[in-house]
Amino acid sequence: MKLLPQFIIAILAAVQSLSIAQAASSDMHQLYEDNCASCHGSDHGGFLAPALNSETLKGRSATALRTIVMTGSFDTLMPPFYGRLTDDEIRGLVKYLQSTPKQANPAWTIEDMKTSLKVYIADETKLPSKPTYQIDNMDNIIGAAARGKYGRGSGSKAVFINSTTHQKVGEIATGTAAHIIDYDPANPRWAYVKNDTAEIFKVDLYSMQIVRSIKTGFNGPGLGVSRDGKYIMAGSYVPHNAVILNAETLEPLKAFELEGVDPDGKMVTSDSGMVIGTPFADIFAIALENAGQVWVVDLKDNFPVTKIENVGRHLHDAFLTHGGSKLMVASYDDSIVTAIDLNERKIIKKLEAGCVPHVGGGAAVEVDGRTLGFGTNFGDCDKMVVSVWDLDKMEVVKQVPVSGGTESPAAHANAPYVAVDIISKDRRARTIQLIDKKTLNVVKTLDVGGHAYFPEYSADGKYLYVSAGYNGDEVAVYDSTSLQKVAALPMESPAGLFSHGRVKYVTRGLSPDEFDDASKKGGAQP
Amino acid sequence: MKIQVHSGLLIVGLLTVHSVNAASIYAGQSRAAAVCSQCHGVRVPSADAPFPTLAGRDPKYLQQALKEYRDKTRKSDIMNAVAGSLSDADIANVAIYYSKLKPE
Repeated sequence: MKLLPQFIIAILAAVQSLSIAQAASSDMHQLYEDNCASCHGSDHGGFLAPALNSETLKGRSATALRTIVMTGSFDTLMPPFYGRLTDDEIRGLVKYLQSTPKQANPAWTIEDMKTSLKVYIADETKLPSKPTYQIDNMDNIIGAAARGKYGRGSGSKAVFINSTTHQKVGEIATGTAAHIIDYDPANPRWAYVKNDTAEIFKVDLYSMQIVRSIKTGFNGPGLGVSRDGKYIMAGSYVPHNAVILNAETLEPLKAFELEGVDPDGKMVTSDSGMVIGTPFADIFAIALENAGQVWVVDLKDNFPVTKIENVGRHLHDAFLTHGGSKLMVASYDDSIVTAIDLNERKIIKKLEAGCVPHVGGGAAVEVDGRTLGFGTNFGDCDKMVVSVWDLDKMEVVKQVPVSGGTESPAAHANAPYVAVDIISKDRRARTIQLIDKKTLNVVKTLDVGGHAYFPEYSADGKYLYVSAGYNGDEVAVYDSTSLQKVAALPMESPAGLFSHGRVKYVTRGLSPDEFDDASKKGGAQP
Repeated sequence: MKIQVHSGLLIVGLLTVHSVNAASIYAGQSRAAAVCSQCHGVRVPSADAPFPTLAGRDPKYLQQALKEYRDKTRKSDIMNAVAGSLSDADIANVAIYYSKLKPE
C-alpha cells in the first residue's frame, strides 16, 4: 500500500532521468524554483538560507555540494534530497548553480498580484458566527508556523493550538513553509498567514479555513495589519517591493518600490525588513533593510510616505513600545537598535546591542516602575548577550551574558522569566535560557531538544511554548513557573509561534493594563 | 562441578543482561539526532520523504540492519556511508532509542 506511490515515483524518476540527460538550463531553473528557491531566494541571492550562485559557490567542490544536497546539512534546515531528486537532477542542479550569477530583481507587479488573487469562500456571511470548537477566549490561540521538512509539501502549514488545553484546534495548508502569522486587532476571527514564497492567506479562525489568498512577491516575510483591521501591508526580499492590501478582500491598493540612499550615501534598492501596524495611529512602518531607512505610511488617500533616513546599516526587525508610539529597530551591521518616535517621525537614539541584533517579536516588561526592553542578538561572537534597555530613558541597563546567539525573546506580565532561544549551531541549539526579570541574570537553562527556538507565552502567561524545530519535530509546552514539560504537539520543523494575545498586549511582556499606562506615557493618543 | 557450570552460565547471563541495559537511550537519542533524524525524523519521517519510519521498530532488527549496512552486505549508497560512521555502541544505542519511541 504505502510502497505503491514510492514505486510510481521511482518509475517516474527513471523516465525523467532519461530526459534530464539532455536537460536545458531552463529545466534546472524550474527544478531550482520548485525545490530550493523558497529558502535560497528566487534570485539566487539567499533568503533564510545562503545565496547559491556562481559567485558564492566559486571554488567549491561539485562533489561536496552534491553530498550536501543528497544528505542535507546537519544543524540547519537543509533537508536530504536523496530519493526525492534523482542523481542526474542533483548533478545538473549543482552544475547549474555554479554557473548561474545572482539574477536581476524579477518583476512582480500589482497586476501580477491581482491575477494571483484566489477566492475560496466568496460569501463570508455564511461562515459560522462563533468558533466551531471549544475555546473561552480567542486570545488563547497560539499559531505555529510549521515549515515542513522540505520547506514545502504536506508538512507546510499553520497549526492553531488552544494554549489552555494544548490541543490543536485546526490547521491550514500553506503549500510552502508558513513563516509569519498575524491577527486582526479589530476582529478576533481573522488571521493572516504568510509563507516563504510571499503568498498571504486570509484565514477564518472560527471555521479554520482559508477564505482568500494572494501572492505578493517571490520571497520575503514582512507582514503587518493596521489597528482597525482594514489594511494589511506586505514586504518582499524578491522583488524589492511592498504593497498595501485591502484586508477584507486582499485586493492590492498600492505598491511601493523600495529604494533609497543608504547611510553611506549610495542609492540602493532594498529588501523589505519588518512591516508593522501599531495601535498608536493609522500608519504602517516598514524597514528598508539595505537602504537603512524606515518609512512611515499614512493610511489615507494615496498612502503618503514619510522617510526616516540613516537609521542603521542593514535593518531587519523591530518591536513597539509606549502604546505603539515608539519603534525599536534592529540594525545588523552596526550592532545597534535604533529607537524611533513614530509621532515625531524621527530618530530618538541609537542604543548599543550585542552582535547582529535580531529582536524577533521583541519583549518588554514592567519591573519596579521601569519599562525594560529585551533585545536578542543573532551573532556568534565574543560578546554573546541579551541587551536590556530602559525604554523610558532610552538607555542601556545591562548586557546579560548568555551561552550563545539568540533570535527571539518571550516575556509575559504573569511569568517570572524572560525566555530566549540559543541558536548557536551545536548542542546549545537545543536550549532555551531563562532570564530572571528582577535580577537580570540567566537563572535556568532548559534542554528542549531539536533546534529549539521561538519561545512564546500563552495569553494567560501560564505556559511557555517552544518550537523544538528541526531534528525535534514538535512544539513543546512548559509550565512557565515550574518549567516542567506538560505537553508536546508533533509537527514537521515548527518555527515561529504567534500568540493571539499579541494583539492585546502589543509587545510581549506588557499586560493590557500596563499597556494603557504606557500609552499614556507615550503622550500623543490617537 | 555442576554448580560451577551453573554459576558460569549465570555470570554469562548477567553479562548479557548488563550489555543490553548498557545500551543508552540518552546516547542513542543524541546519535540519532546527529545522524539519523535528518532523514528518518524523530518519531516519523516527513510525510513527503521517501525514508522508512524507525520509531517502534524491533531493536534487534535495527541493529542487524545497521551492521549489514556498515559491512556493506546490505547495499545502499547512502546507508553504507551513514552506517560506516557508527561504532557497535552507537548502533546499539540508536537501535534501543528508536525501538522505545512510539511512532505517531
